[in-house]
Amino acid sequence: MNNPFDQQAAVPAAGNPFVPPAANPQREPVLFSGRGAEYFGIWIVNLVLTVLTLGIYSAWAKVRRLQYFYRHTTLGGSAFDYHGDPRAILKGRVIGFLLLLAYNLSFQYSPVAGIVVAVVLAAVMPELLRRSLRFRAHNTSWRGLRFAFDGDTRGAYAVFLMWPLITVLSAYLLGPLWHQRLKRYQFDCARYGDTRFAIDAPVAAFYKVYGLALLVVLLGIAGTVALLWPFAAANPVVFMFLPMLLIVLALFVQPYLAARLQNLVWNHTRLGAHRFESTVSARRLYLITLTNLLGIVCTLGLFMPFAQIRVSRYRLGCVTLLCAGAIDDFVAGQSADAAATGEGAADLFDVDIAL
Amino acid sequence: MSISHSDPAPSVAALYFDGRSARAHPVTLTLHGHDLHLDGAGLSRIDALPAVRLSEPMGQAARIITFADGAHVEVRDHAALAVLLAASGQRDSTIVRWSFQPRAVLALLAGLLCALWFAWQFGLPWAARQAAPHVPDEVVTALSQQTLAWVDGGVMTASTLDVQRQQSLRSALDAAARVDGQSLTHALMFRSGGAMGANAFALPDGTLIVTDQLVALAGNDDEVLAVLLHELGHARSRHGTRMLLQGSVSALFMAWYLGDVSSLLAMAPTALIQAGYSRDMEREADDFAARMLRRQGLSPALLADMLEKLAAAHDKDAHSPDSLPAWLSSHPDTAERIARLRNGDFMLN
Ligand SMILES: [Zn+2]
Repeated sequence: MNNPFDQQAAVPAAGNPFVPPAANPQREPVLFSGRGAEYFGIWIVNLVLTVLTLGIYSAWAKVRRLQYFYRHTTLGGSAFDYHGDPRAILKGRVIGFLLLLAYNLSFQYSPVAGIVVAVVLAAVMPELLRRSLRFRAHNTSWRGLRFAFDGDTRGAYAVFLMWPLITVLSAYLLGPLWHQRLKRYQFDCARYGDTRFAIDAPVAAFYKVYGLALLVVLLGIAGTVALLWPFAAANPVVFMFLPMLLIVLALFVQPYLAARLQNLVWNHTRLGAHRFESTVSARRLYLITLTNLLGIVCTLGLFMPFAQIRVSRYRLGCVTLLCAGAIDDFVAGQSADAAATGEGAADLFDVDIAL
Repeated sequence: MSISHSDPAPSVAALYFDGRSARAHPVTLTLHGHDLHLDGAGLSRIDALPAVRLSEPMGQAARIITFADGAHVEVRDHAALAVLLAASGQRDSTIVRWSFQPRAVLALLAGLLCALWFAWQFGLPWAARQAAPHVPDEVVTALSQQTLAWVDGGVMTASTLDVQRQQSLRSALDAAARVDGQSLTHALMFRSGGAMGANAFALPDGTLIVTDQLVALAGNDDEVLAVLLHELGHARSRHGTRMLLQGSVSALFMAWYLGDVSSLLAMAPTALIQAGYSRDMEREADDFAARMLRRQGLSPALLADMLEKLAAAHDKDAHSPDSLPAWLSSHPDTAERIARLRNGDFMLN
């Protein structure tokens, strides 16, 4: 065989004392086998039942959607699985809806009441988000072992309340630093079985990614304003297109950020002695996002399930697990038994907030 | 084996995980009566069928059979599993079968589109009509003030109409805006239309705004009065509040529907959905204006004349680049409305 990777792998690492075992790790790619046409059926049934039940079915729909995506994601010959209880998700959605309603109504009532509710919301939100992270991790499994998240409340208040405030006060200059702290909280407190995740992505790398994105946006705005300026003198209506321009720029920058941040985070993440590799190309993701948007607009949204599958297939397919040893060696932590008895509050409810 | 069948018991290859380690054990599943037998190297267990849980089919994804103690097997040999399941009499739930039958999916899709169209065409307007009278006055006032602030924040500028003309229009409206001897709540405001040109509109709380350009377009005060009464009709029937309710619900739905993809995308269509009053609302306001004009001893044709003038003015403007297509949505109906007002086949009661 001429494949250099095969030759490398053929050298028995243990037989060569000068090469540490981790130097040529076994590569286990993440595979995603979901198909758009197949997922369309699940999506449409979910949609119809959610509309007919005025939103109540949405919790069951979420479980079926996640199960479809998790079970089609394979690593080392076995699939991931999702175990969330729809009733817990429904409870979380009701709580979220009530909080949102209270927030909106109180501002109608009086600004003082609005501020009071906003402060209360800010005070409880970090704890809700922490529980959401726990719920999500706890209900994800691979090879029969559950993931877990044991971040503490203090950490949650730091990354979900303190850092956002600091970010706003610093005119978003500290935003990338906040993002790094958030990822550290998410990954350093996560476990698979009793094996811990760890992340060592440097702050400078976050600044580089966000800096480039900002540069593109600023150049885009400057370029378009310069382009529109000659027409603007004759007709100020031209500037009504500026918000539209911002949307286009956001669509342009979003795939770039998604690609670079995924690579940054996973290339610096360890699971025990194992590492990950993520090779998402911003250009490829941009093409996929753009064609997805065209498809969704042209089909009034019916292309959405296909779009979700396409993005997942590309983004998941770019991740590889670099095994430092046998992947059979993971064992359950003390949580294995707790899982059966229900880990207390973790299953109480799940608040949907994307992170 | 002591029991010999003519057919061998159906068996399936699978991977077994004990729930305590990530180790995969290759095993074989066999069905014996109502018991599922699992056999592998150094492994063997027997579980009664009712005690195991089978995940729903999802295309080529592995199906997962979970045992009572948390251990599970992953099955990827779907053909062999189908034989085993058929022998066990297992049947997928209806919802699951729907998701994977193209005909059922198409039928559901058609049903969904019909339901959505019906809800949007009839359900939502009906619900908004029921709900509009229950919207608290404070909310209506607050919304109207917000809109007025937006109008004054650059869309329109202060009126240059002379004070006497303003006063005579106000007293004409005061005299006309009465039903059963009761004066209708209203306030009349004059503004210079800017890019909006000749226009008049009602805020939900009964505030009427008329542009200098419209007053100039009208030959006399009676024609302006006709337009104002039409707008008062909108305000009185709470058309503004109804459109706002419909718009909010549509926006909420779009945000939820498209929210998965991009919240930015969700904002675009709502602007398109809420594009002025419905045809029925215009008709209702026309009828109201016609009734009130008759009561003043004036002809409903005055409103028809104004509609004609406005349509012509905005048609002309349409060729200049800075006109806003405010009348675009109701334009095809304008001819019909004019004919209706001239022929007197509006509702008089
Ligand atoms: Zn009207």
